[in-house]
Amino acid sequence: MDAFHTKRRKNIFLLLKRLLSILAATFLTILSSSHTYAVAHQRTIQDQCYACHQAMGDKPGSLYGRDIHHKIGITCAGCHGGDATAEDPEIAMSKKAGFVGVPTGNAVSEMCARCHDNAEFMKSYNPLLPAGQYAQLKGSVHGRASTVANEMVAQCTSCHGVHEIAKVTTPASPVYPTNVVRTCARCHSDPTYMKKYNPALRVDQFELYKTSVHGRRNMEGDPKVAECASCHGSHDILPAKDPRSHVYPINIPETCAKCHSNEKYMKPYHLPTNQYEEYVSSVHGVALLKKHDTGAPACNSCHGNHGAVPPGVQSVSNVCGVCHTLNAQLFEGSPHKKAFDQRKLPECEVCHGNHGVQHPTDAMLGVGEGSVCSRCHTLGDTSSGYQVAKVMRLMIDSLTNRQGLAERLLKEAEQKGMEVSEAFYNLRGARQSLMEARTAVHAFDLATFKDPLDKGMKIANQAVLDGESAIHEYYFRRWGLGISTLIITVLAFGLFLRIRQADREWREKQRRM
Amino acid sequence: MANQRFSQRLYRWLDDRYQLDDLLHLVGKKYVPLHHHSLWYYFGGVTLFLFGIQVVTGILLLLYYKPSASEAFESIQFIMSKVQFGWLIRSVHSWSANLMILSAFIHMFSTYFTRAYRSPRELTWVSGVLMFFLVLGAGFSGYLLPWNELAFFATRVGTDIAGQIPIIGKPILEFLRGGEDVSGATLSRFFGFHVAIIPALITTLLVLHLAFIQRQGMSVPLGMEHVEVPEEKRLPFFPNFMLRDLLLWLIVLNVLAILAVFFPWELGKKADPFASAPAGIRPEWYFLFMFQTLKFIPSKIFSLDGEVIGILLFGVAGVLWVLVPFLDTKSSRGIKVRGMTYIGIFIVMYMIAFTILGYIL
Repeated sequence: MDAFHTKRRKNIFLLLKRLLSILAATFLTILSSSHTYAVAHQRTIQDQCYACHQAMGDKPGSLYGRDIHHKIGITCAGCHGGDATAEDPEIAMSKKAGFVGVPTGNAVSEMCARCHDNAEFMKSYNPLLPAGQYAQLKGSVHGRASTVANEMVAQCTSCHGVHEIAKVTTPASPVYPTNVVRTCARCHSDPTYMKKYNPALRVDQFELYKTSVHGRRNMEGDPKVAECASCHGSHDILPAKDPRSHVYPINIPETCAKCHSNEKYMKPYHLPTNQYEEYVSSVHGVALLKKHDTGAPACNSCHGNHGAVPPGVQSVSNVCGVCHTLNAQLFEGSPHKKAFDQRKLPECEVCHGNHGVQHPTDAMLGVGEGSVCSRCHTLGDTSSGYQVAKVMRLMIDSLTNRQGLAERLLKEAEQKGMEVSEAFYNLRGARQSLMEARTAVHAFDLATFKDPLDKGMKIANQAVLDGESAIHEYYFRRWGLGISTLIITVLAFGLFLRIRQADREWREKQRRM
Repeated sequence: MANQRFSQRLYRWLDDRYQLDDLLHLVGKKYVPLHHHSLWYYFGGVTLFLFGIQVVTGILLLLYYKPSASEAFESIQFIMSKVQFGWLIRSVHSWSANLMILSAFIHMFSTYFTRAYRSPRELTWVSGVLMFFLVLGAGFSGYLLPWNELAFFATRVGTDIAGQIPIIGKPILEFLRGGEDVSGATLSRFFGFHVAIIPALITTLLVLHLAFIQRQGMSVPLGMEHVEVPEEKRLPFFPNFMLRDLLLWLIVLNVLAILAVFFPWELGKKADPFASAPAGIRPEWYFLFMFQTLKFIPSKIFSLDGEVIGILLFGVAGVLWVLVPFLDTKSSRGIKVRGMTYIGIFIVMYMIAFTILGYIL
């Protein structure tokens, strides 16, 4: 009984809806001759164009039956103009009836935009349907004028197809996740075509993508993994160097995090979702996201772009070594390399971590609390690792302290008004040596480590001497001033007495005269 | 005793050849009037003493200074940090330059207010004012020599102002800079002006100035010259006044030492011609009243460039200042023109007020 009433109610709603649609369409057609409302009118009438073209068996006629627009009642006249109700082709395709033929160039996208940029109109089909794609397209890299004519590089039909346009969510659509990579590749993998627009742009993205974790799964038919549009966007694609682009270095971590921080989304893949959280507070994340240093690594710097894969145990030091070249080279020649390889340890990551890598401090070195060396090397260690770590820490602490002392002394001298700018300048050499020593730690060899350290110590010692000498000079000047003031005072007093004597003699002379 | 005999013998030896007795007789005849304005007589001597300090310390600095854009700053840095007492010589040179200008200001205005410029001492005034302008020139050229940031940009602004003079401005600008902009060529030129041309001109004018004073004696303020100065109201220049001068010079020397030790002259940052000008660029204090005036003048006055009008007005004022003895002819006849006093007070107040404004604005 309930089912009967429900069905009946549905039928009444459907009837009312259709009636309202007809009324609205008629009313709006009278009010305005705008194409949008004409299309609204078209969807309610018999499509005579389609009937003829289907009968003729031409390409549009055979394809349009599968088109989403046909399914919702939009006639051929919706795009091509003319009178879809007229049986006579002369009348149906007459200029008087508004027939425009096959739109070309930007007229294609403008024609789509008449409906798709009208949010109110689109809502009548589905309140969730987005609008404004044409405006986005015009502002995108594809909206730039093409080299062949004064028109955009890509039109709506370039990606969505013609006459058999399908919903994005259906596998038949060329922009469905598992199809979109091939759709993009049609142009982006064609070197001749791409050279016309950007000769510097690579054309191997699709090939790389197929080797990536995302690509492999996509090829297997998984629509959830990242494809071109997931990272680059769809209608609003911008060059990667544009700060508004989803793949601009500063925006990349957030773009990746859209999926990789979504616990529910990542659940089937059994992947952790805390990478972004860790990265944000890491030394790399702070440099990129807070200091806006676009040279700092984002996700793609280590995992790759189109060929995205997690770095394996063997390749971690190579990945880090792209930027930290010297550290990687030293590590390659160090005793740790063999030991880590044997134990299948992920090299740099063992001490520094991965996504949450923090600014390294001297506290990581040595055998004290918080040192990373002591995680493996203990007091009774058979290898020399424990001793080497301990000595390295002692030496680096000595240089840091010496340099700190030199800085304090020079600052004190400077505050006292002494000229110590040259000594300050020289002290930069000690800082440089300290940095070199910190890098040399990665050789895990005392001889290699001692070279920069000794050099730095020599410079720091000289700076300490310069600072002490400047402070000593400061007090010497004051003593000198005191003594010279005393001498001048004595001389002045002597002069004063001489003046009195001369005045007396002058008065005496005057009296005599 | 043996020494005394030696000095007497030496004097006699020199006297036989150069007639020193005549010279001493001439000096001995010079008297300094004693009155309640006698204090101002000392400032000429102080200026002379500070000029001497400038010459001596300047020569010592020349031993290490390298006048090129790439080495000037470093050479001063070397003088300040490595050369024994180099810091003292440079600080004393800088401080004494400023004190000399201050002392010259006081000396010049005291001469003005006491009407010491009146006939027959017109040329003493003219030579003094010209020397004063040269001293300002020495200050301006010397300011650039350390080739530091402040000096570089202040020189750029200063020479820009000179370039605003109609018709001759551009050639003057290029002559001063040795090109379109302040560069190593400007430094070489300023070095030449500072150590050779200006000191030579000052020395020439100084000899004349002192010769005039020696010949004409010291002026007494207007209204007192007709009163016969009694014997007890005057003092022999040598040795009484000379000893007082020496005492004051000793005090000034000690002040210089205190300033050099407690406030060593800063070197700042090396000039970078490609860097943007730092905030708060202003000239030395003795040019500040002019700089501030030019800042206050509207950019356009009756369709004429305000800055050009300002520069022309200062130029005219400078010429009138040189010609003061010929403009105030009444003072030569013993008539004190109050207007001249008011003009002098206005000038002093104006300079002080605009200098203060230059620092606080």
